[in-house]
Amino acid sequence: MTLNPMHQFEVYKIGPEINIGGVNLSFTNASLFMMISAILILSLLFFGTKKKSLIPSKIQLITEMSYTFIGKMINDTAGSSAKAFFPFVFTLFMFVLFCNMVGMFPYSFTVTSQIIVTFMLASVIFVAVTIIGFIKHGIKYLEIFVPKGVPLVLLPIIVIIEIISYLSRPVSLSVRLFANMLAGHTMLKVFGGFVISLGILGGWLPLGFSVALTGLEILVAFLQAYVFAILTCIYLNDALNLHH
Amino acid sequence: MDFKEISTRLKIAKKNIKVIEEKKGGSNATSFGKALKISTELVSAVVVGSTIGFLLDNWFDTKPLLIISFFFIGVAAGILNVFRSAKAMQKNLEK
Repeated sequence: MTLNPMHQFEVYKIGPEINIGGVNLSFTNASLFMMISAILILSLLFFGTKKKSLIPSKIQLITEMSYTFIGKMINDTAGSSAKAFFPFVFTLFMFVLFCNMVGMFPYSFTVTSQIIVTFMLASVIFVAVTIIGFIKHGIKYLEIFVPKGVPLVLLPIIVIIEIISYLSRPVSLSVRLFANMLAGHTMLKVFGGFVISLGILGGWLPLGFSVALTGLEILVAFLQAYVFAILTCIYLNDALNLHH
Repeated sequence: MDFKEISTRLKIAKKNIKVIEEKKGGSNATSFGKALKISTELVSAVVVGSTIGFLLDNWFDTKPLLIISFFFIGVAAGILNVFRSAKAMQKNLEK
């Protein structure tokens, strides 16, 4: 019996080791759970849109609700011009949400508790938003680094500060998701360990805490997916509408 | 009520919605999302600033000088981030 609370975050390979050009491309448990999440999303959307009845079934209702939820979020935060990016934001939201939720099952692996995964997602958003900004506004996009009404003497230092502030976006985006998932799952495991070590007499209190924390973690899992998506929308808004 | 009437009514209603949406013009984040945004924003700007300082130090061989100055610039950028998020939140509240 392992009581190490960090043991659950271990990445190990499943099947043979694949090495292509010095890059380790082995199939790991992280890849497995990413695939499980993707398959779950695909099947939800497939079965949800299969029978388009006027009075929706439960699964169709879930699909339609997630569609309108993201659609409304994009419209509210980034304006109607960002509607073209709906597939991107929807994919991100569903992927993060399902990775978080699949991680809530006992004996499963939380993909979003690996910083490399969240940082990769955040970098894709960051690069995409920057490219969109340059396509939309050309060289004028650099104006976001130069706030209006700043005295000329202060301008060099302000521009450096603005650039660092811009570069910190992917870091804050990825660290937030990663830290929330890591901390939550570690805490769950620690309380679970208390239940075992205190035994049948004293184990009831941490067991109660564990149950409460599981509820909290499900809330956090949803909330972090929501925050991830809404920040993508805010960054898209900055790139499309050029003001802050 | 025939079909034509309904479709004209629908058209007018859709037009009205469009006018309202254009008036809003985006930038309307839920304050809850922004509140969560603030916490990591301060730290990440400091980290990014220090990292840039460290890299530039290695590049120009000016060991402790640039990392110190970029640390403080990073702090300033973090405070700027937080200030901006807080201002946007306030703007949302006033609406």
